[in-house]
Amino acid sequence: MRERLRPLSFLGPPTAVLAFFFLAPMVVMLVIALQYGVLSGGSGWTLTNFGNVLGDSLYRDVALTTFQIATAAMIIQLAIAVPLAYVLAYKAGRFELGLLLFLVLADELNPMVRIYAWRMLLGREGLINTALMEIGLINVPIDALLFSKFAVIVVLSTSYLTYTVIPIYAAMKAIDRNLFEAARDLGAGWFTTARRVLLPLIAPGVFVALLLVYIPLFTDFASPALVGGTEGYMLGNVVNDLVLESGDLNGGAAMSMLMLGASALFAIVAYRLTKIRQLES
Amino acid sequence: MAGSTRPIGQRLRRGAPRAASVALVAFVLVVLFGPVLVLALFSFNDSSIISLPWEGFTTDWYVEAWGNDQARDAVVNSLVIATGVTIVSLVFGAAAAWGLTRLRFRGRGAIAGLHGSVLVVPWLMIGVAGLIFFSELGVSLSLETIAIMHLVVTFPLVVAIVSAGLVRFQRSLEEAAIDLGASQLQMLRYVVLPQIAPSLAAAGIFAFAWSFNNFEISFFTGGFEQTFPVWVFSILRQSENLPLVNAVSTVIAVVQIVAVFGAWRLIKMLSHRRGDDKGQLTDLVTGAVR
Repeated sequence: MRERLRPLSFLGPPTAVLAFFFLAPMVVMLVIALQYGVLSGGSGWTLTNFGNVLGDSLYRDVALTTFQIATAAMIIQLAIAVPLAYVLAYKAGRFELGLLLFLVLADELNPMVRIYAWRMLLGREGLINTALMEIGLINVPIDALLFSKFAVIVVLSTSYLTYTVIPIYAAMKAIDRNLFEAARDLGAGWFTTARRVLLPLIAPGVFVALLLVYIPLFTDFASPALVGGTEGYMLGNVVNDLVLESGDLNGGAAMSMLMLGASALFAIVAYRLTKIRQLES
Repeated sequence: MAGSTRPIGQRLRRGAPRAASVALVAFVLVVLFGPVLVLALFSFNDSSIISLPWEGFTTDWYVEAWGNDQARDAVVNSLVIATGVTIVSLVFGAAAAWGLTRLRFRGRGAIAGLHGSVLVVPWLMIGVAGLIFFSELGVSLSLETIAIMHLVVTFPLVVAIVSAGLVRFQRSLEEAAIDLGASQLQMLRYVVLPQIAPSLAAAGIFAFAWSFNNFEISFFTGGFEQTFPVWVFSILRQSENLPLVNAVSTVIAVVQIVAVFGAWRLIKMLSHRRGDDKGQLTDLVTGAVR
């Protein structure tokens, strides 16, 4: 009998907190998305909120912008993260731990402080523009640096880099290094080794990085709100404006549910793709 | 053919990549930390606008920041919430990790899935859902609602990190302790706790940072209460860049750097006591994401 009770005593309180403050809010948000007004109003079920959000051409443009920004930031991060993880895992030697610590530190630093720091650098009277004018490279400040898609991409790329590098680094650490020697002995050049040995083996790490980074990139709203201007307006800002500016909880809930659904779909597809890749190799 | 190209290839492989590695690492460090260093530098500039030329050294902005009630309240709020959230997260996280990795019972998969799913739901959605939930319940938003929603996203992270630690070490030690007459509690206290101490220390520093740095959830579930990130956000939304924000941000960044290095030393110490080497330390960083 006592043995029976044990899982409950360890897992009871944490699971109860998740059920009440994670699952219940999600269910309430879904119900609100499917109704007019408040829950107790009992307006009956409707798909109008989803229809409004999906039918609005403005939101479709914003969705496209969001996709462009998130994808650009993701590609930039992967382009940095794969070689960086390689250097960390195989080349850094005694600097390996220290560099890892710096990556962790980069994540621990407050994101709002980082956004503010970039805003300071990129502004019209910001340090990059004033410095470039000082040395005479440009005569008029470059306006496109701040309040643009470019600014959002720069800020987002630096905000999530830790979470892109570490899973890929972890996957590389797990590779048996004899495989590289074997590939070389069998006459494979570095490109073939990278494509046929390294890439398939780090695919699960890349998948984890995509889950941890690509999905949050789609829902970010602090960076576009502070450095995006009108050009860098993203879906996260739509949710914020619906919920807090126009007080349209139903619309905001519908938009949130759509973004959540899209994230889940992406996660499942990415997961399946990795499975297939693993089976093939 | 292969024989004639290989030596050149090998020489290139040795020389050029080394320079490329150094350049890559330097680039990443500059991009990640450069802006924050410049921010810190301009908190000492004797000018109310943040731009060149340099007007001289001053600590006035720190004095002004200290006297700014909003700034102080926001930082204190963040500290209090993050401390509470970290403590409860460690207790919940360690208990849940133990239950999920060591006990067999029906519904284990579902509960593990529930804990895992929190980590992949974007914070914006959790914040918005929290706001709607509390307003439907008629609960007014406060520091407490921020803290409970922080707890929801933070302790599953502790579960992930501590579970990775528990999976690594051998169960036979626990069984040996029981065989030698230790009670369940003694076994947890003297065998398991020292083993997972480095994981707990790492989880603690991450949990604190997740709560302290959290913007989206605090923004939506805090009502009129402000945490440090929400304060910075609202200032930057209303006005141009302010040296006052530089000063507060610099203090926060310095404390965070000291905290991370301190925690790193602590974890190293805890690991050394167990006779671990560098391999296990890197495992700690990578364990949770695997």
